[in-house]
Amino acid sequence: MALDRDSFNRQSLGPSLNASVKQAQVLMVGAGGIGCELLKNLVLSGFGEIHIVDLDTIDLSNLNRQFLFRYEHIKKPKAEIAKEAAQRFNPNVNIVAYHANIKDAQFNLEWFKTFRLVFNALDNLEARRHVNRMCLAADVPLIESGTTGFNGQVQVIKKGVTACYDCTAKEIPKSFPVCTIRSTPSQPIHCIVWGKGYLLNEIFGASEDQAVLDTSENSDNAKEIAELKKESEALRKIRESVGTDQFPQLLFDKVFNKDIMRLLTMEEMWKSRRPPEPLQYDLVLRQAMEASASKEAIIQDGQKVWTLEENLVVFNDSLTRLSKRMLDLKKQHGDDSPQATISFDKDDEDTLDFVAASANIRSHVFGIERKSRFDIKQMADLSRATLNDLVEDFVKLQLGFGERDFAVNSDAGLLYDPDETDNLGKLLSELGINQNSFVTIVDEEEEDTFINVVLNIQSSSAESTGKPIKGLEPDKALEIPRKPKKEPIVEFNGDRSLTRQREPDLETPPNDLKRPREDDSDMLVVRKKKTKIATDDGVVVIEGDDPSNGVITIDDD
Amino acid sequence: MAEIVLDQTPPVLRGPTEKEKKYDRQLRLWAASGQAALESANILLVNSGAGTVGVETLKNLVLPGIGKFVIADDTVVKKADLGVNFFLDESCLGRPRSECCTRLLLELNPEVQGDWYPKNEEKLDLHHVLDSSGSFTLIMYTNPTLPDDLATIEAYASQHQTPVVCIHSAGFYSYFRFSLHGTFPIVDTHPEVEKTTDLRLLQPWPELSEFAKRMVEGIDTLEDHEHGHLPYLVILLHFLDQWRQSHDGKNPTTPKEKKEFGKLVLGGSRTNNPEGGEENFQEAINAINKNIKVPELEPGLEEVFNHQDSSEAERQSSFWIIARAIHLFYQEHGCLPLPGSLPDMKAQSSVYVKLQGLYKAKARKDAQEVLETVRESAGGEHVNPTEVDLFCKNARFVKLINTSPKGLDLGQIFDAERANDEAAEAMKIETGGAFSLPLSNFFIYMALKATAYNPTATADEIMSTITQLVPQAAGYERMGQIAQEVARAGGGELHNISALTGGMVAQEVIKIITKQYIPIDDTCIFDGISSRCQATRPEFFLRIRV
Repeated sequence: MALDRDSFNRQSLGPSLNASVKQAQVLMVGAGGIGCELLKNLVLSGFGEIHIVDLDTIDLSNLNRQFLFRYEHIKKPKAEIAKEAAQRFNPNVNIVAYHANIKDAQFNLEWFKTFRLVFNALDNLEARRHVNRMCLAADVPLIESGTTGFNGQVQVIKKGVTACYDCTAKEIPKSFPVCTIRSTPSQPIHCIVWGKGYLLNEIFGASEDQAVLDTSENSDNAKEIAELKKESEALRKIRESVGTDQFPQLLFDKVFNKDIMRLLTMEEMWKSRRPPEPLQYDLVLRQAMEASASKEAIIQDGQKVWTLEENLVVFNDSLTRLSKRMLDLKKQHGDDSPQATISFDKDDEDTLDFVAASANIRSHVFGIERKSRFDIKQMADLSRATLNDLVEDFVKLQLGFGERDFAVNSDAGLLYDPDETDNLGKLLSELGINQNSFVTIVDEEEEDTFINVVLNIQSSSAESTGKPIKGLEPDKALEIPRKPKKEPIVEFNGDRSLTRQREPDLETPPNDLKRPREDDSDMLVVRKKKTKIATDDGVVVIEGDDPSNGVITIDDD
Repeated sequence: MAEIVLDQTPPVLRGPTEKEKKYDRQLRLWAASGQAALESANILLVNSGAGTVGVETLKNLVLPGIGKFVIADDTVVKKADLGVNFFLDESCLGRPRSECCTRLLLELNPEVQGDWYPKNEEKLDLHHVLDSSGSFTLIMYTNPTLPDDLATIEAYASQHQTPVVCIHSAGFYSYFRFSLHGTFPIVDTHPEVEKTTDLRLLQPWPELSEFAKRMVEGIDTLEDHEHGHLPYLVILLHFLDQWRQSHDGKNPTTPKEKKEFGKLVLGGSRTNNPEGGEENFQEAINAINKNIKVPELEPGLEEVFNHQDSSEAERQSSFWIIARAIHLFYQEHGCLPLPGSLPDMKAQSSVYVKLQGLYKAKARKDAQEVLETVRESAGGEHVNPTEVDLFCKNARFVKLINTSPKGLDLGQIFDAERANDEAAEAMKIETGGAFSLPLSNFFIYMALKATAYNPTATADEIMSTITQLVPQAAGYERMGQIAQEVARAGGGELHNISALTGGMVAQEVIKIITKQYIPIDDTCIFDGISSRCQATRPEFFLRIRV
């Protein structure tokens, strides 16, 4: 018989399945270790159109397993090189490569809906969670995968049929706080927390605001943490110049030039990130001549996203105002008095202006979107609420979890459960929970179990009185539905003898499945759009489609 | 090659070499010693059939950097090969598959050497390949095979004690099976770190006892800071002494006694401080269960101690010489040589460093004693001391593979596996589908094996081959279905099934070459329809019934 290219596939898959594979358009997110292998398999399985998205470029240490790449490809985009290499081995397949972040706006819901299947071949929690949500929303099946050392896992996720990625608690990456806020910010909120929790405090506050700097023992970060401590000390010295004419320049060049230059020397840090660009006070000030002239107008327009130059004008002006207040306070109470400090208050315009301007200048340095003072006011204020407020005040009392054991998960992973209480004292913003964030509450009781509750966090413009977190309709009693009772399904997937022999290297307890639950597959996905809950400056709010029951609607299909 | 030259210059305060950077991720798994073993490996692939699974296995060995490979394959590339084999492109059509795959595989890693047979349109002569390529570290062959080739491979392997792996992938099914020669011992099994701690609290050596005693002298009058920084092992030694004085010299061993002992320790903690307790005492209490127990031999080591040498060559191997020396050590001291590592604990740095020194010194002393025994035994004068050190550190978790003879009654296995399937089926019905147990993959192995020499056999031909071995197979419906599925594939491979199988084979090959981690013993069967993998010895099917 004359055999053509896909004769083996046709033989085993059968003509109709083989034809449907050939017509399918699939998406692969990530072109690293798993991605290279997967792309090869997809190409040879004959999938008609394969889209690849990867943000990364090729590094020498990839070459021992990412076999689509060669020495000469180092520093080139993974997505594009993978496409070139794999294309050669099946000219009938159409491969489309994007050297981009899967979270970019171009990859919207409509785009996701064009795929028959999505494959996750990612190396980070954040992107996994994002694709998981997009696939649930677009109702496209997702095949999720990951490896660590000799362990690996694959999970099929289909809306309404299987558990989703977030249905299982994941371990929170320990190194998050200190390095993100101080060294590698990637979102506006990181810069706002930096301006408010670090910069303002070091200059005008009680100085050591170690709450923001989680220096938890993490050997990977130990060196960087030591450097950061030195940085803080140097900053505190500048504090002595408060009120002098050189002060704004001293401060600016310290935090937006010298500290940034030091960060740039850490080459490893910038391999997969955009390196920051240091600024020089003199140069920016020269460019800001024009803006200086309309200072009053700028400061009054809190809705506008200020330019770099406008931010410098506000930075200088707010510094002058704060410095003057500081000198007065010192005169009044003595230099070292605890009363001679200024701390953040969203209604204290001087502090708000300073935090907004310095956060924006930092955002500029790191290539992050700048925000208007109005937005920053809300975001900065949201961080008044701590995880403890959420757990004790809102989940236990207002949601009625009471004495139940439960876990709180966010994008970053497990935030709280009865054994994981380290985060309780932290501000929500430090834990990466900001405007629009989702938080999932998982009831851990065996009996009479609540369904998972997904909270959407919103900052509120209401008066900041009373509790830091409230439901939208705090007066209504909430009734959370129970999970349906089901016999546990025992499914041995894999090798019986192995589990018996306990070979440590072949058992598969993937690290990131911290607490697999026997009823995972039965978890309900709470559809977020119908469940709106807001944390605000006072207020967490729950808002249901049906106002009469006050609350949460579940989409159980 | 520049990096190799660079590597030979003395490593004086240098950063990681290019090579270390490239292999960074895998060096974390098997260290420089494992990498060196890989780099000196020479691997033969005797390829056949659709030919993908063997090449996929090689890909996963070329990437981490084996020294050399040889492909023996007399197939000429056809269109159908292009659709299933990634290491062939359009330009390969009509050319020898062995050469084309070798060239493309070599692109993956410039540090690897590769060769192929047959050359110049000659006929493939396996004897010639085996004789002319240096000695092979391991041989892989893929089904379908020719019986003559198989005999040639087996003869070579048996003569040179070469590990062999047979790989078979067809449609949605695959299996691979290792044949090792004699017992295969592994010293560096990579147990979980927490399990390897041995503080010898119940058998402290004099220097340790001495040290601990000095630290707790006048324990009640110690300053708070010092009291709060007594290392937990010192605390435990102190209270064990106390316990024995009031318990006829016996240690706390039962759970109840340990609980009592925990209370005794807790009673020694100071509570008149702001924390209301002491962290080091809490550490001590937490450490009781793990560290206060009469040492028991792990089953793996017990098997080593009880092993009867099967040949003089085995007797003379360094593994067995050291194993005997350690057995002697165990008999004499009632414990294994001290591994010497000390877990982190609350203590003053200077004290911790001293303790660390004590444990290291004792480990060296124990290893020295073992080395002396080794030197006194026949053949022991050639044993490398670092091998003795490694063995002493890992003694508790050494493991033997391939210990029992092959060749149990297939009929018996068949019946047992069928009974297993039926029990699983019954459970499914009984529980309305709520519980399910896995069906055995053994029948897949049987059906694939029946096509080892004839890839395009019909379902009837497959069944007839099987029933010649196991007559009762004719009456089992599932056997018939699996035979049909194998016949349906017609010897064709699915790339993804072969890629997955190739990944698993390479993983096990790496374990065997590096002699690290515990390899599969000895067969792995994959069912791509239910995505289930079963690893076992076919002879052991009887033992793995649920």
